[in-house]
Amino acid sequence: MRAASASFAAACLVGAAATCAHAEPIPTLPPYTAAYQPQGVDERGLWMEFDEFERTLRDSKAVINDPALMAYLRGVVCRTVGSSRCETVRIYVVRDASFNASMAPNGMMVIHSGLLLRSRNEAELAAVLGHEFAHFELRHSLAQFKRRRTAGDIVAWVGVAAVGAYAYGGANTYSVIRNAQSVQTAVIGGLYANGREQERQADLLSMAYLKASPYEPHCFADLWNRQMNEADATARGRKQRSTRYDRVAFFATHPTSLDRATYLRAIASETGKAGDEGQVSFMTAMTAWRPEFLDDQLKLNDFEGTDFLLGELAGAQWTPDLLYARGELYRGRGNPRDLVSAIGFYREALSGNATFAEAYRGIGLAQMRNHDPAGVDALKRYLSLKPDASDRAMISMLVQ
Amino acid sequence: MGAQSTGGSFEPNADWTAQAKDNLGVALAAAQTKLGNEVIVAEEPVGQSAQVMADYRALFAVLAQSVITYQFFPGNRLPTKKRKGAFEWTLGPGVAEIAGGSGADYALFLTNDDEYGSTGRKMLQVFAAMGGVSVISGNHKGFAGLVDLRTGDLVWLNADLQMGGDVRTPEGAQKRVSQLLEDFPGSTAPQPAAK
Repeated sequence: MRAASASFAAACLVGAAATCAHAEPIPTLPPYTAAYQPQGVDERGLWMEFDEFERTLRDSKAVINDPALMAYLRGVVCRTVGSSRCETVRIYVVRDASFNASMAPNGMMVIHSGLLLRSRNEAELAAVLGHEFAHFELRHSLAQFKRRRTAGDIVAWVGVAAVGAYAYGGANTYSVIRNAQSVQTAVIGGLYANGREQERQADLLSMAYLKASPYEPHCFADLWNRQMNEADATARGRKQRSTRYDRVAFFATHPTSLDRATYLRAIASETGKAGDEGQVSFMTAMTAWRPEFLDDQLKLNDFEGTDFLLGELAGAQWTPDLLYARGELYRGRGNPRDLVSAIGFYREALSGNATFAEAYRGIGLAQMRNHDPAGVDALKRYLSLKPDASDRAMISMLVQ
Repeated sequence: MGAQSTGGSFEPNADWTAQAKDNLGVALAAAQTKLGNEVIVAEEPVGQSAQVMADYRALFAVLAQSVITYQFFPGNRLPTKKRKGAFEWTLGPGVAEIAGGSGADYALFLTNDDEYGSTGRKMLQVFAAMGGVSVISGNHKGFAGLVDLRTGDLVWLNADLQMGGDVRTPEGAQKRVSQLLEDFPGSTAPQPAAK
């Protein structure tokens, strides 16, 4: 199965990716059982574990408890997978700036705020949430749990055999141990290969949901293309070699982003469907939260990646909140030249929104750091625009 | 509660967990008479107090782990914990909030984590032993801690990483509870450690 997918990807790369003729068929939607109850010892045990986890997560401070945001996300899930399927889902948004989401076997869906920051429209978000729901519907956690247990058993027994050969073996000791090690490697490799196959199946089922939904199916591939560029930017900033997208690593849990972008784009073209991107509704729903999500992203200490992401979010038009975030990013790195750039971004933010108090704060702090006495006036302006600022005491000390 | 597979991974078991919860509840009620205190099982809180409770449960877990690491093993004691007879650990006075006006003086936190070695694991253990390698079958951890709700101080903590008593049975649960509450402050008749 994996070999087939790899050769398929290669074929697409040779031709123009978007017009690759033979896309993999997406599955027809399986019949859905409402209020499914776990069966057997293993599945009931897994559900129990995640029920316990969910009880803890529900009361966690990391979870965003905003009724408006929750209602919007529920709407997205329901429009993606259909109203009967979405009834089983409980959604939790956690404050985590990484690009991720997950779904537990008991129907607990966890969305990282980093995914909400990076999605450009409702269709992209729908594609990822559909992928997570597909893991749930296909009961992937249970299958992988069983496989991991079997793999662990084999690795343990083969290990004992190797130990036995070492303790009691004669002339063949070396070859027994070497064979034992290859068996262990093969079993572990198979486990990861199966995990990647599950991801691919979830991608395909997500495309099936998208086909039946009001959303535009091409958006899923767009997300992966941008993800690769962001990862490259992060690697560049950290002076690391970027990820290889043309081959699969032994311990890779997912197919490469390039592989996914390629087969998802081909499938989307095959469906011949033009749907709704839902950009306006998405941006409206995120208005209140984007400054918070940007703030979390800035704390990742990922200058290049964040700068790239801000550019992606801005597109052709830099809005005051993005300009302010960029100012904070440059001020955070803090070289004298960065402070000059930061002041420029804050000023641009102010030309879009003249009462942006935090931008004055940024200007003031950056100017003071570069020994510019004008900084005091900017900080005073900040305090007059935001008299109840949480850092009032600290800033007041600076302006005296 | 669950089993430990041959390869050592944890296999959660819903039935055993439900049985163990019931059995431990019964055993705890029976043990009450010897504790010199009235023990009330806390209701699951809702709303704001649920968050406070979750915070303090998490804080207690961290505190208990710190006590186990930095107090229980003399060789690993922090310089501030070396004074003889000193047991100075606290959750802070804010913990009074979890009493929620119930008039409780102390909070008792109990944790149990059990993995029973499967038949395959036990066989692996035997064969590995023949090769001279030690394999651990099963995993039975538990701890109990008592917190003074007026000051937040931890007054007593009992931790055992190899507990006895099969909590899937009523008798085993009684043995487990008596081990967990061994030397409980103010108890009238300290239970002998029956391992």
